[in-house]
Amino acid sequence: MFEQQLFNGLTLGLIYALIAVGYTMVYGVIELINFAHGEIYMLGAFLCITFIQALGIPLFPAIALSMACCAAIGVFIDRIAYKPLRKAPRLAALITAIGVSIFLQNIAMIIWGSRPVPFVRAAVPKVFGETVFTLGSVNVSGLQLFIYAVTTAMMVGLTLIINKTKVGTAMRALAQNPVSAALMGINVDRVISFTFALGSSLGAVAGILVGMYYNTISATMGYNAGVKAFAAAVLGGIGSVPGAMLGGVVLGVAETLGAGYVSSQYRDGLGYAVMIAVILLRPSGLLGKSVGQKA
Amino acid sequence: MKFKHGLVVALAMAAFLAVGNLVLAADVIKIAVPTPLTGPAAGYGDNVKAGVAMKIEEINAKGGVNGKKIEAVYFDEQCDPKEAATVGTKIAGDKDLVAIVGHLCSGAHLAALPNYLRAGVAALSPTATNVNISEKGKDAKGQTWSFRNVYRDDFQGVFLADYMAKALGLKKVAVFFANSDYGIGLKDAFLKQAKANGLTIVGEEAYQEKSTDFTPQLTKIKGMAPEALFIAGYYAEGSLIADQAKKLGMDVPKFGADGLDNADYIKLAGPAGDNTYLTTPFLAETAGPEAKAFIDAYKAKFKRDVDWMSANAYDAAGMVIEAISKVGPDRAKVREYLAAINTKDKAYKGITGLTYFNDKGDCEKPAYVKMVKGGQFVPAEKQMTK
Repeated sequence: MFEQQLFNGLTLGLIYALIAVGYTMVYGVIELINFAHGEIYMLGAFLCITFIQALGIPLFPAIALSMACCAAIGVFIDRIAYKPLRKAPRLAALITAIGVSIFLQNIAMIIWGSRPVPFVRAAVPKVFGETVFTLGSVNVSGLQLFIYAVTTAMMVGLTLIINKTKVGTAMRALAQNPVSAALMGINVDRVISFTFALGSSLGAVAGILVGMYYNTISATMGYNAGVKAFAAAVLGGIGSVPGAMLGGVVLGVAETLGAGYVSSQYRDGLGYAVMIAVILLRPSGLLGKSVGQKA
Repeated sequence: MKFKHGLVVALAMAAFLAVGNLVLAADVIKIAVPTPLTGPAAGYGDNVKAGVAMKIEEINAKGGVNGKKIEAVYFDEQCDPKEAATVGTKIAGDKDLVAIVGHLCSGAHLAALPNYLRAGVAALSPTATNVNISEKGKDAKGQTWSFRNVYRDDFQGVFLADYMAKALGLKKVAVFFANSDYGIGLKDAFLKQAKANGLTIVGEEAYQEKSTDFTPQLTKIKGMAPEALFIAGYYAEGSLIADQAKKLGMDVPKFGADGLDNADYIKLAGPAGDNTYLTTPFLAETAGPEAKAFIDAYKAKFKRDVDWMSANAYDAAGMVIEAISKVGPDRAKVREYLAAINTKDKAYKGITGLTYFNDKGDCEKPAYVKMVKGGQFVPAEKQMTK
């Protein structure tokens, strides 16, 4: 049973991690807690089923398309809601982010309705839906393996982009010191747009995976996921991409084990308790660096 | 000059309209129908609206009540207690509204009730099942102003415990309950009766509404091999529990009350929804000939299958209108009339069977069991009448 709980927790944790990296990247670059990120995740899921149902696009191209759309939406949100406030006090941008989040949620309710909607079962390959592998005492479904594979691939890709590409180097430079980065000839706005696009497309994948896994998506799903991913990002050390990945997995496993062994009534509480404990002991999070305020 | 002329015409028209309204007002009797028309519960509200509308149309087609047409005035309270309290004040203050068919949600009904007690207007809910309503419907003089033609949550819990043990002979059951008034009330009643029936409860798992992941609880329960899952909650989470249980290899029958009773449950749970048993106060297949006529007319009018909420709302509107036709459009007298329907002999004969109230305004309604089979609701093979 323990192994089974661990695997289930891992599935949940990897999805949290995928959303959390979007949060943490934006924070790393412009120090904004982007509360609208949870809504991007929700939009990703809805766009994907809309492409499948209304346009008859197969699953994988639909995923790619909704990633592209969410990337564009992320960039668009930054342009109209956050960019004009770049020089304003940070609180203004934070409040704007909450406003954007509420706005997107309501738009989704107008378009797709307020009831939960099933994911398009027919579009999901049968291998995922019905295959169950038994490894000792553990049942792992094809879909869970798919989630492991996709999330791992995404995170490896992300790590490569951040560490091996020019734009990744620019992102890291910006995270360290935006003024110096600009002086070195980095196009700050373009890098920020790229960060939003990257984070939002990962958020979209997370939304789609959750939709496939639970077979339910709803206009309000972004809020809870957003809070969890935020907690994961803080747990890992906000601003740190590997930290967000680790934080997501730790949070997912902690919640699952907590619900399995302690009490299901306190599952959310237990997840946050772990977060609080870590922050009390390591204020910068698991993998965060304790650096002074940015100049 | 032109402007003056226009003004005169406008004034004349306004006067004409006002007179017209006066004449009209004298010709209609209004009843209030507070129900969610927008928001997450709007789907349910629509069902209630359909039932009430059908009853009123039928009465008006026969010439109305004592020569006057009946008119329903709908109030949107979004199933939200705060909105319901506001709407309740409005309804209580409008003396033209003779009686109330509503509210739909228990929380909304409880929130609006104090207004109705104070103003002295009777409310008959077709759908609110919460236990607390029984105690909150009386004014200082001990008169009941709140009625309902639906059974209570605890009745459903007890009924399901009996059904599992006596009709299906199950022995080991796991319980999932929403951490809300509804879920806890239902679960408590179920557990008490289940223990009396000798059912073994393996696992009592609470969850927050809007949760999506139930695998930890299900994994834990799976080791104890329950023969059935009882889900005391709503369909959004219930369908996920069913689906995840099946994915973990637990293909057992599921049981639930009215909270699971929604076509969306089947849509969301997919094949895992099969073998779910639900209590319902109205089963089209076992209903009498009058009900059959209602079902056919409903389908023709709304292009969808009838649901229990519409049937209950149809009867609730019927009772209120009957009261008005007997005692006239008087708030206090309507209440007296409804309160006097207190024995089986005096019961109102509607399409959902005989309805009569106890001194708390609660009715005793039989429950039927329906189940999901092949992705559709069908009557369960075994029914149980108490």
